[in-house]
Amino acid sequence: MSIIKTENLSKVYNPDTVPVHALNDVNITFEEGEFTAVRGPSGSGKTTLLNMIGGLDKPTEGKVTIDDVDISELKDSKRIDFRLNNIGFVFQHYNLIPVFTARENVSFIMLLQKRDKKEIQERADALLDKVGLAKKKDSRPVQMSGGEQQRVAVARALASEPKFILADEPTANLDTESAMNLLDIMRNMNKEQNVTFIFSTHDQRVIDRARRVITMVDGAIYKDEQQEVSEAQ
Amino acid sequence: MKTLLNISWRNIWRHPARSSVLIAAIVAGLWAGVVTVGLVNGLMLQRIDYLIESEVTHAQLHHPEFLAEGYSWLSIPNHDEIKNWLENDDRVKAFSFRTITDGMLQSPVKTSGVRIRGVDIESERRTTTFHENIVEGSYLDDGTSNAVIMGKKLAEDHNMEIGNRVVLTFEDTNNELVSGSFNIVGIFQSASTTYDERNVFVRSDDLISQLSDSPIYHEAGMMLEDEDLASAVVSDLNSSFSGIEAQTWRQLSPELSMLVELGGVMVILITLIIMIALAFGILNTMLMALFERMRELGMLISIGMSRLRVFAMIMTEAVILTITGAAAGMVLAWFTIRQFSTSGVNLEMFAEGAAQLGWDYIIYPVLTPMEFVAILTVVVVITLVASAYPALKGIRINPLEASRNA
Repeated sequence: MSIIKTENLSKVYNPDTVPVHALNDVNITFEEGEFTAVRGPSGSGKTTLLNMIGGLDKPTEGKVTIDDVDISELKDSKRIDFRLNNIGFVFQHYNLIPVFTARENVSFIMLLQKRDKKEIQERADALLDKVGLAKKKDSRPVQMSGGEQQRVAVARALASEPKFILADEPTANLDTESAMNLLDIMRNMNKEQNVTFIFSTHDQRVIDRARRVITMVDGAIYKDEQQEVSEAQ
Repeated sequence: MKTLLNISWRNIWRHPARSSVLIAAIVAGLWAGVVTVGLVNGLMLQRIDYLIESEVTHAQLHHPEFLAEGYSWLSIPNHDEIKNWLENDDRVKAFSFRTITDGMLQSPVKTSGVRIRGVDIESERRTTTFHENIVEGSYLDDGTSNAVIMGKKLAEDHNMEIGNRVVLTFEDTNNELVSGSFNIVGIFQSASTTYDERNVFVRSDDLISQLSDSPIYHEAGMMLEDEDLASAVVSDLNSSFSGIEAQTWRQLSPELSMLVELGGVMVILITLIIMIALAFGILNTMLMALFERMRELGMLISIGMSRLRVFAMIMTEAVILTITGAAAGMVLAWFTIRQFSTSGVNLEMFAEGAAQLGWDYIIYPVLTPMEFVAILTVVVVITLVASAYPALKGIRINPLEASRNA
């Protein structure tokens, strides 16, 4: 079932001075339960595509539909609310709240959703357990390694029970062991709970694990292919 | 709300040194400001009270031209009737009639121009506190004939001591020059050396006997039950008697009245300066905190925190910082003012300069509850205004900031 659909999606930066065509007429759909990597050289438009799909930026032309909602047309406040309840984000620099513990970082998004306190605690603990950080739930980001922080970020992204998770270069700052560990966690979530992941990445380790690989060049889809992924990887 | 307070409180302590310095600055600024306002208030009030109680009184009456011309023949007509009126008016607590003339004081050393004030000892004691200014010898009531008391500065200039004699020369009401030898029985020191240099006091009977064939008075000073009654009493006197002009202390001493207004302006100025410094301190700290957290704020908006909550979070941080500092500053200031309102702040090192200007060197700070509340209110308002700009900048952050490289 298709959950994300872009139609004639274009983005032009600085249209009045030096126009930069970041996206050119992109038409693409994403199905529920996909584990997709968007690859391409720097400036190819992969991050812009993720920003459009995540409702962080507005297209110059075209639209993004998520579960039949045209998010390009939503007002800023509605779009923020939509993101809260439908989209999970994992950032390259982890972007945890430094004054909060791992558990509080995971709980925070659920507090924004005004969920029941008990449910928040239980879900935060369960998610941290799932990403292998049960013993670190009371640690602050500064007390954790980059890999651990990124695992907290994944737990946070999952906490709001989003329709899909967008991860912008999630392994870019991680060593091989941490990156593989993180990818294992995300793959397991994808397989076991059918969580949809879409990554933008340069990292061959991520690309090798993705079942679908979209290659972008000059703001357009150059290649969109499915690949077999060995479970041993 | 609890989450907001929680995150705001922790954000403040993200940089404990910076937040502590800002809180300390708010405490110090407010403490200094409030205490300074208290001292200015105290200084002004002391000066005004001193002048009213020792010299000017709440209201005075004269011949309409006496204050401008100063001739001894410009005396108060029908003074017996006026005396009677004043004695029977409940609003008048005490009054004293004075005989005044300008003349020369001669000593073996030099000659000085002085204002000679003839006073009735009993009524003057009831009306003013001037007798408390005697620092040497006695007031005019020691029985010495032709007694005179003079200011310390004048006595020093003339090298005079208690028991020495001086000659006072002045015009009588017939424009004839008369001289009299007077015995120094006391030396006074008021808050103003200028006043001490230019005024001598004698008994009114001694002065009148040389000035005129019949009792004449040039000034009547009145202390009222309440200062606020001055305008009404003055108005009644002016309408009841002709040939006189009664005036309140504000009319008689416009410089004193100006002092009251100046005090108010100074209080506002001091408060304004402190508040501007406070506002910039808050603005600077909040902007620094904002610029350091652009990516984090971008992340918060990305994951679904509303811009209103981001605004509230930044404002809450500023308010917590300020309330913590302001509360401590106000409590400290309140204790300081309370302590010094009884013991006074001794500025003895400036005593000489202060005396030249007529100021006391022991100041008892005064701050009314209204002023206290007003300063606190201004602090809160300034905080909200100063933090509104960073908070507004905060809500305009593009969520894409979350993806930017450091």
